[in-house]
Amino acid sequence: MYLEARDLHVAYDCVMALRGVSVALDRGEIVTLIGANGAGKTSILRAITALKPLESGSILFDGEPIDRLSTVEIVARGIVMAPEGRHVFPLMTVKDNLMMGAFLRKDRAGIAESLDMVLALFPRLRERIAQTAGTMSGGEQQMLVIGRGLMAKPRLLLLDEPSLGVAPIFVQEIARAIVDINREEKVSIILVEQNSRMALKISHRAYVLVTGKIVLEGNSSAIRRDERVRHAYLGGNVE
Amino acid sequence: MGQVLFNGIYTGVQYSLIALGLTLIFSLMNVLNFAHGQLYVLGGFVTYYVYGGMKLPFFVALLASALTLAAVGCLFQIFLFRRVMRRSVREESSMLLSAGTAMMIESLVLIFFGEKHRGVPAVVSGVYELGGVFIPRGRLLVIGLSFLFIVAFILFMRYTKPGRALRAMAQDPETASLMGVNTARYAILGWALAAMLAGMAGAILVPISGVNSGLGNWISIKTFIMIMTGGAGAISGAIAGGLALGMVESLGYHFFPGGETYLIIFIGLIAFLAVRPNGLMGKAV
Ligand SMILES: Nc1ncnc2c1ncn2[C@@H]1O[C@H](COP(=O)(O)OP(=O)(O)O)[C@@H](O)[C@H]1O
Ligand SMILES: [Mg+2]
Repeated sequence: MYLEARDLHVAYDCVMALRGVSVALDRGEIVTLIGANGAGKTSILRAITALKPLESGSILFDGEPIDRLSTVEIVARGIVMAPEGRHVFPLMTVKDNLMMGAFLRKDRAGIAESLDMVLALFPRLRERIAQTAGTMSGGEQQMLVIGRGLMAKPRLLLLDEPSLGVAPIFVQEIARAIVDINREEKVSIILVEQNSRMALKISHRAYVLVTGKIVLEGNSSAIRRDERVRHAYLGGNVE
Repeated sequence: MGQVLFNGIYTGVQYSLIALGLTLIFSLMNVLNFAHGQLYVLGGFVTYYVYGGMKLPFFVALLASALTLAAVGCLFQIFLFRRVMRRSVREESSMLLSAGTAMMIESLVLIFFGEKHRGVPAVVSGVYELGGVFIPRGRLLVIGLSFLFIVAFILFMRYTKPGRALRAMAQDPETASLMGVNTARYAILGWALAAMLAGMAGAILVPISGVNSGLGNWISIKTFIMIMTGGAGAISGAIAGGLALGMVESLGYHFFPGGETYLIIFIGLIAFLAVRPNGLMGKAV
């Protein structure tokens, strides 16, 4: 396994947000974590990126433990997160936001290549390259956050609810981009979503979370077709 | 009137330079640095010592002030603010700490340099006269240097990688760390820059106004006025606030030589903030 998170426990003050969660991802996979609001999806990503310390558990990436590293060290190993809620740098231009994504890179030619790739993936960003990020629409900001993540040339990209608060036409565009990133750029992806319909369609495998525990895991296509699962965990809105 | 305008610009650009450092620390760390004026005074005394005392060239003294204060800024962050802010859960702790460091620096300056007002020989002498306006060359040098440092600072923040990282950190520290910005290290850089700017402002003014150990609080208060009118946290706000205060002060001293100027300024400030609580530019970097 490329990424292997074992038995994660995470708490806020005294409330346990994750109670023994194990998640794994193979190289080249898109794995989705789905579940209702408050289930603990973001907490998993924050644990992986060391923004939230673990109570217990372990995380291996590419065969090495990373649960003692700092956020910056984890980013340097190629795990890059596009955080929930479209955290662009609002007062910077689109270009400066993208360049911040490449902050740890020194290969000028490679950075220019990534920039071309991101602007080809999201032509809208090319049109707005000099615009202040905070003045763009929700969907455009989301594209920027994903594009900024790609500028780091990630090996594993963590996407936290990229469809949240985004207009439906943009959701399709973003979904297509995620598939592209995975296929063409060979980036492994963990996709956190409440929009399980979209997530199950484009991912290879899925984990379903309920209040801090994994209640179901399996192939996305199988879960998508399973009537009982749909009703029990996904509010019947899968298709 | 031309004279009032010139004096306003002269005072305004140096104020803008002083305000930049305060606004930088505020936007990066959410710390209102009460010791900013004391850092300015310390910068002035370093130049007094190196240029006035050791008789080295003025630009060497300016460099010494800049480097000394940058070092002081680093030490502030590493040994004081980082430690306190890691543990504290209340915003007031950082304010109390900065007020404490203000007293500490003031006392140290008093011990090492005494309580006398200190001056040094002028760096350049002579006066231009332009249509009845007297323009001392020394003041022209202050305007030129302040302008140069302000522009250099803006270019640094806009077009260099560390500058971009500092702006990113001010706007969203956690996301900046997700880009790989070592925020602990950049906080030190921020403090070094802010203290350095204050120190350079102090240094370039010694040849004209001199310096004494008790100036610090008054400078800090004036700087608070500038960033409140300009908009706390915004570089453009610091510059606008500095120029505005310089101009108003110059007008005030012209029309009210008796010393009512700051009374009027404070009343005006209260009225202004009632109308525009976020200042001219709002909060932003
Ligand atoms: N900063 C926080 N402080 C306190 N509780 C939190 C915080 N963040 C998340 N939680 C709690 O942890 C649980 C999991 O949250 P989260 O991981 O954000 O879920 P999800 O991303 O699936 O919506 C929720 O019960 C939430 O209320
Ligand atoms: Mg979440």
